[in-house]
Amino acid sequence: MKVNYLQKNRLRHPYFRRIVFLITIFVFGAFIFSFFDGTIISIVSPAWRAENVIARSLRNSLALFGSQKTLVTENAALKERVFSLEAEILSLSSKSIQENILLELVGRKQDSNMVAAAVLTHPPQTPYDIIIIDVGSEESVALGSEVFLPEGPILGTVSEVFSKRARVKLFSSSGEETNAAFERDGVPVVLKGAGGGNFKFILPRDIRVEKGDRIFSLDITPALLATVAEVNIRSTDSFQEVLAQGPTNIFALRFVFVTP
Amino acid sequence: MIHRTLGIMAALVSILVLPYWLYLPILLITMILFPFFWEGILFAFLIDTIYGSGITTAVAALIILIALLPFRDRLRTYV
Repeated sequence: MKVNYLQKNRLRHPYFRRIVFLITIFVFGAFIFSFFDGTIISIVSPAWRAENVIARSLRNSLALFGSQKTLVTENAALKERVFSLEAEILSLSSKSIQENILLELVGRKQDSNMVAAAVLTHPPQTPYDIIIIDVGSEESVALGSEVFLPEGPILGTVSEVFSKRARVKLFSSSGEETNAAFERDGVPVVLKGAGGGNFKFILPRDIRVEKGDRIFSLDITPALLATVAEVNIRSTDSFQEVLAQGPTNIFALRFVFVTP
Repeated sequence: MIHRTLGIMAALVSILVLPYWLYLPILLITMILFPFFWEGILFAFLIDTIYGSGITTAVAALIILIALLPFRDRLRTYV
């Protein structure tokens, strides 16, 4: 067949242009999102607040019908109170009370100037055991500030600070390692975050570990980090795998305290 | 075009309000469903910026979109 026009050269790689475009978008996105992360979080946080309010009211309205309203509200409040008291009881021990008295005597009383913060978003919305709180550098929150439950147990540390918001990485975040010690006999352990508020670590099988054993942080004022939930020992192994749970349900966090 | 806009809105809203085990599959589905869904990279960056650390999701989205290019051309969808 006679061709009386010039044929266009076909690209050797038909997807080349689109790949270049995608990479350009990626580079552009990396640049924009890394520079404006604080602004983006500020823009998005009203949506989280609205979602929290809507979710709570929806939960209430779906759960109750007419006269049962007060009963359901009371039930929810009591459940919250029970969780709170359980966490408080877990974090208290006669040993820690004695330590507090001693610290007071030597002039190293724990500073109680904590900032209360509302949790804007928490797992499972965030995939990496990260929470975002509504206080930031304007309330003297700094990088590395410790984050506690109102009842006392420690949850994590601030990993990023913006003017009015902060991102908190929980100790249970996957791959995170935290030095801690057993309350029972003070055996030091390194807690490895396993996600979802859980931890795991390996110990020699000779060390006695039981379900319910408490694990505290290694600070001068120890705070509850986790309680042992399961111990796996195989008869052929010389080690035991310990699975521990954080002191609270991180999927329902509402308020925390932050050390400035 | 309206379908694509609705897809973008759905992905955005799901990222803001739904748990990760829902919004990640939704984002993946939109990337498969819509031809050359480059907005997916920006959504992945949004996820990394507001919820995570690093750029893991964005890198994954870029790789998925590049990997989908040859397959996506052979698919015909009506959205």
